[in-house]
Amino acid sequence: MAAMVGVRRAWKQRMAAWQRRWGTEVGLFLRQPLALIGLALIGVFGLMALAHPVLMATVWNRARFDPIVGYDASQTPHPHPPTPQHLLGTDGFGRDVLSQLLVGTRVSFGVGLIAAAVAVLLSVLLGGTAGYFGGWADAALMGVADVFVLMPPPVVLLIFGLLLRLNWPMVALSYGVLSGLGAQAVVVKSHTLVLRNRSFIEAARLAGGGHFHILRKHILPGLMPLLAAHAVFTVVGAVLTESLLSFFSRTTYYLSWGSMIWMGQQSFRWFTLEGQWHVILPPAFALMGFCSAFYLVGRALDEVFNPRLRRV
Amino acid sequence: MARFVLRRLVRGAVALLLFQTLIFALVQALPYDFSAFFIVSPSLRAFIREELGLDRPLWEQYARWMWGFVRLDLGRSFLYWPAPVSRVILSRLPRTLLLFLPAAVLAYLFGIWLGKEIAWRRGGMLEVGASLFSVAAYTSFAPWLGFVLLNVFGWYLRWLPYQRLVNPNVWFNAPVTVDRVLIGLLGTGGGLFAGGLGLWWATRRITGLLLRRVARIGGLTALGVVAWMGWNASGIGPLAADVLAHLVLPLGTVFLLSFGETMMTMRAAMLDSLREDYVLTARAKGLPGRVIRDRHVARNAILPVLARLALSLPFVLVGSLVVERVFMWHAMGQALFDAIEFQDIPVILGILSVVGVLVLLAHIVLDVLYAWLDPRVRYPRGE
Repeated sequence: MAAMVGVRRAWKQRMAAWQRRWGTEVGLFLRQPLALIGLALIGVFGLMALAHPVLMATVWNRARFDPIVGYDASQTPHPHPPTPQHLLGTDGFGRDVLSQLLVGTRVSFGVGLIAAAVAVLLSVLLGGTAGYFGGWADAALMGVADVFVLMPPPVVLLIFGLLLRLNWPMVALSYGVLSGLGAQAVVVKSHTLVLRNRSFIEAARLAGGGHFHILRKHILPGLMPLLAAHAVFTVVGAVLTESLLSFFSRTTYYLSWGSMIWMGQQSFRWFTLEGQWHVILPPAFALMGFCSAFYLVGRALDEVFNPRLRRV
Repeated sequence: MARFVLRRLVRGAVALLLFQTLIFALVQALPYDFSAFFIVSPSLRAFIREELGLDRPLWEQYARWMWGFVRLDLGRSFLYWPAPVSRVILSRLPRTLLLFLPAAVLAYLFGIWLGKEIAWRRGGMLEVGASLFSVAAYTSFAPWLGFVLLNVFGWYLRWLPYQRLVNPNVWFNAPVTVDRVLIGLLGTGGGLFAGGLGLWWATRRITGLLLRRVARIGGLTALGVVAWMGWNASGIGPLAADVLAHLVLPLGTVFLLSFGETMMTMRAAMLDSLREDYVLTARAKGLPGRVIRDRHVARNAILPVLARLALSLPFVLVGSLVVERVFMWHAMGQALFDAIEFQDIPVILGILSVVGVLVLLAHIVLDVLYAWLDPRVRYPRGE
């Protein structure tokens, strides 16, 4: 019992410390309407990604609502405009658009998160090491960054698409590597340089702190806000690039918003019926909303952590 | 300073050579080669490979490519054999430039203006609305945006022509080639831009807001009328008008895709400058708000924005290559996609190198400018 109380008290103290440290930032973040819009959108997309397996298990009939092999024979011709059964209608192959949209959300989250994680990790390893140690490490690592800066990820990945059968984790991984080793590493390096020359680092070193200790306890926390903003912008870039690749059929076949837009445009040309926008608009607006949400959150983070942008 | 520039140039050259090696390796790893696209007998295929130099050992191809690149020779295109790659790229350059330059300039000007306005009136509905719209435009999917604009303005409203570079009916028996007209249009646009800048420079000392505005607007109108009359007198005015009508939609797409980032950057830079003490001084002096905004804040805010723009320019170029593809605007984007489709290795390498060199130049120019403006950058620590 006493141990429980102790645990609870420690937890409380930890929360209080957290609030002292980050309370102002969280307050400033939540005071921006655009940040709230972004967060709400991300929440909605999260729910969408979670909803698909639940709906497939409960409400939706597998044969009719499967995003890839489903077909509804009761409603023809396809693509069929929205009905109570198919809330967003069906596409040219008779598959439910809503079901595809939800599966696409999952892919977008996967692509964005993998790319952001890889990019942040690589840029910290490269830029942090180069900035902290300087000298030869700096020269060698920035040589790598100089090369990767010159490669625009969409074009390189379009060529990669011929070489490998790209699936979405591969796309995310390559995008993360290209952007993490390039521009982001350069920015992380310059921020590390600024941090390194601050007096508290000097104090830590005089107190006997090793390199690893200083990097982990002093440099990395200082880099966190920048890394958060980078991660969020990487999500935007990675998801848009993945859509571009699957739109131009440079990936293996899997459902994503990009390939949905491509199929929508195909059936748009095959059929001369009016009003097939229900196939194209949902994935396109989903893509726009997803990327905008992350972009807005990134900008808001920037505004909170960049002391010169803060509102007085 | 000279030492810094030299060091930066050497670093850039090393990076460029490494970059060339990397893209060569990347392209060499493609699964089959150009000769696989012909349905011919094995001996003929071997002949094609020999003719294109694909049968040589890899190190020889690599040495040949690097040596050619150093001499600014990008080799010959496989697809347009025996045209040199430089000609394949250069012949499409006017079309790409005509789409990309006006779009980039318009997007930057509009983005800077809008960013200035919304930063000045921070926290209003205008800020939220403009931010939402620009972010939505910035993050919208390029092929889809083009498709929507095409369908709405080209198909449903029928205001503007549908895809492609020109209307063949207008160009039947035309006395000049399309590219000639495009180059003329590019020249006109450049002249108008330079004239506008000159006018702005010449009238900056005129006191009196109304007089200055009248002079600027009148001068711009006069420039426009002169350009219009020149094209009318040339006898190919309708052809130019046709090209321009086809240009509107792709240009609008690239514009919508790229102005948002400029706006957000300008806004952040403005907010940054607004906190400076000299703004407080200017307010205390009782200067009108417009003067503080334009003369004091925006002028200082614009430098980092211009730096960001120089870095983003090559990426806007890549974006416009994708838009070209959507609008069947036959230019560098089309060449790149064809080259990827048919493994025209020299053209792929050529376009990648052009983009790479552009990015590198932007970085070097920026670094040198920064070093020139800020002596702290010039000397590394410990020197």
